[in-house]
Amino acid sequence: MAAIAVHQFAQCITCHAWSPDHAMVAFCPNNNEVHIYKLIQEKWEKLHVLQKHDQIVSGIDWSVRSNRIVTVSHDRNSYVWNQEGSEWVPTLVILRLNRAALCVQWSPKENKFAVGSGAKTVCICYYEQENNWWVSKLIRKRHDSSVTSVAWHPNNVFLATTSTDGKCRVFSTFIKGVDIKEKKEGTSSDTKFGEQILQLDLSFSWAFGVKWSPSGNTLAYVGHNSMIYFVDDVGPSPLAQNVAFRDLPLRDVLFVSEKMVIGVGFDCNPMVFAADETGIWTFIKFLDERKTSSSGPKYGSQFSEAFGKLYGQSKYGVGNDAVESSRTRGGTHVNCINCIVPLREAGSSRITRFTTSGLDGKIVTWDLESQEDLLNYHL
Amino acid sequence: MAGAEGFVEADNAEAIIIRIEHKSRKIESLLKQGKPIEALKTALEGAPPKTQDERCKSANWIVVHRALMAIKDVDFMFSSLDPEYYDILMKVYGIIFVLPKGASFLEIYQFSVLRNGKNFSDWTLSFVPRLKRCGYTALKQQSRKSPVLSWYLYRGLSTGDRPTCDQCLRIHEKLTEKAGLGCILRCLADTVNTV
Repeated sequence: MAAIAVHQFAQCITCHAWSPDHAMVAFCPNNNEVHIYKLIQEKWEKLHVLQKHDQIVSGIDWSVRSNRIVTVSHDRNSYVWNQEGSEWVPTLVILRLNRAALCVQWSPKENKFAVGSGAKTVCICYYEQENNWWVSKLIRKRHDSSVTSVAWHPNNVFLATTSTDGKCRVFSTFIKGVDIKEKKEGTSSDTKFGEQILQLDLSFSWAFGVKWSPSGNTLAYVGHNSMIYFVDDVGPSPLAQNVAFRDLPLRDVLFVSEKMVIGVGFDCNPMVFAADETGIWTFIKFLDERKTSSSGPKYGSQFSEAFGKLYGQSKYGVGNDAVESSRTRGGTHVNCINCIVPLREAGSSRITRFTTSGLDGKIVTWDLESQEDLLNYHL
Repeated sequence: MAGAEGFVEADNAEAIIIRIEHKSRKIESLLKQGKPIEALKTALEGAPPKTQDERCKSANWIVVHRALMAIKDVDFMFSSLDPEYYDILMKVYGIIFVLPKGASFLEIYQFSVLRNGKNFSDWTLSFVPRLKRCGYTALKQQSRKSPVLSWYLYRGLSTGDRPTCDQCLRIHEKLTEKAGLGCILRCLADTVNTV
């Protein structure tokens, strides 16, 4: 089995993040709080509740080296939480947004973080020692719609974003005094803050979930039209591959190696994509073994029953997931997955374990070690 | 400025019509030679790019319709059609199924029951809730901005005759089986290529 641990934490989870040692998990149960749980003697116990936001928390990231948590919310603010003793102490970061913040990520060096928002802007926040204050610098007038996802390049300067205008963009986030100019790298030495390096116009519809490969050579993002895009040679002449798949669209992606990507989304089941020796990406398989129905929907006999269901639903306003084809039943996740987080082993670049969370309120841990057919791609 | 643009559009439309006429002749000769698959491929290739011109759209639809109706063996068609044609083929349904403006999902469902009996409605029943879950209700609000996206433009089922509906439903069932829901989603999301 690829799923090695499943735990129902809440009714619905908007996002989650792990502590550096993977002993604790922080998640938002679809409200204004962040809950931190720890596994104590085979049982998950609630240790802390971070209460400061006024509205739904849309993004959480837990830094590995500095052990800080950053949260963003629909209330347009962000907090950086530092652990002092047994308490988590919040520091308000004023993002200067007029719409909800949607996603957040620490930079690889953990001296900056990026926030995507519904205000068509990206905030790059950094710490100012002399004022004891997090400063937010905005990248404005570059996106035509909400920024749905942000991803840092390993060089700590490039930032990739996806937006509901269907485009994926790469910016320089070089900040004087925070980043040190590297003369060796020809491409990043002469870029100013907010300068657009690349705009990819591959998707016809909303774009979600962007990630860089571990080396930063490949970029992957997904479109709401059941497509996933892989981009090599990010720069003046990028090489793009569009991969169409036969199932419902994805929401987020994760590189587990240079040649393998896991996509999660509306099909409630992680999909594996991999590149062969020639660099051509294809869909490999679903990670969760689900009980497949014998054939497509049967006509006739089920018809009247289903008709009644549909009517009942619309009358009483019950959720719309009651009429589901049998293939999503019996899976590990039973609703849309919208968050995928790697469980990095210290000192290892490859990822064998990761966790997913979604609208069904479960956090599922997946292990790739047992998947022998994937070993070839998983270097 | 607006006048100039209008002129370009009209000029462009003439060129497209000529191209479609040329395509139509080619399809007729292929059908005479007994090559319906080749004819369908030709019909699906080179659909007019983003055009709002109704004449182009209906001219192109007549050509595609001709080729589609000539298909007798659906299974054989799929065994000899490359997957790259699936997405284009699915777009045909953007034209055939046109529903009254502003219809809700339930209305679409009821409409499809009235028009087509249970085959099509079963399909809607299994598909619509999933589509809704992906946030495609939002499209309804957007539709004023991007009319091409309005997927409830199910015009043809009200104008199409019985054999057309039957043939389209038969192909649609197989197509969904082969190419999956992803193919439908791509067709719905596609604002650039019109059929």
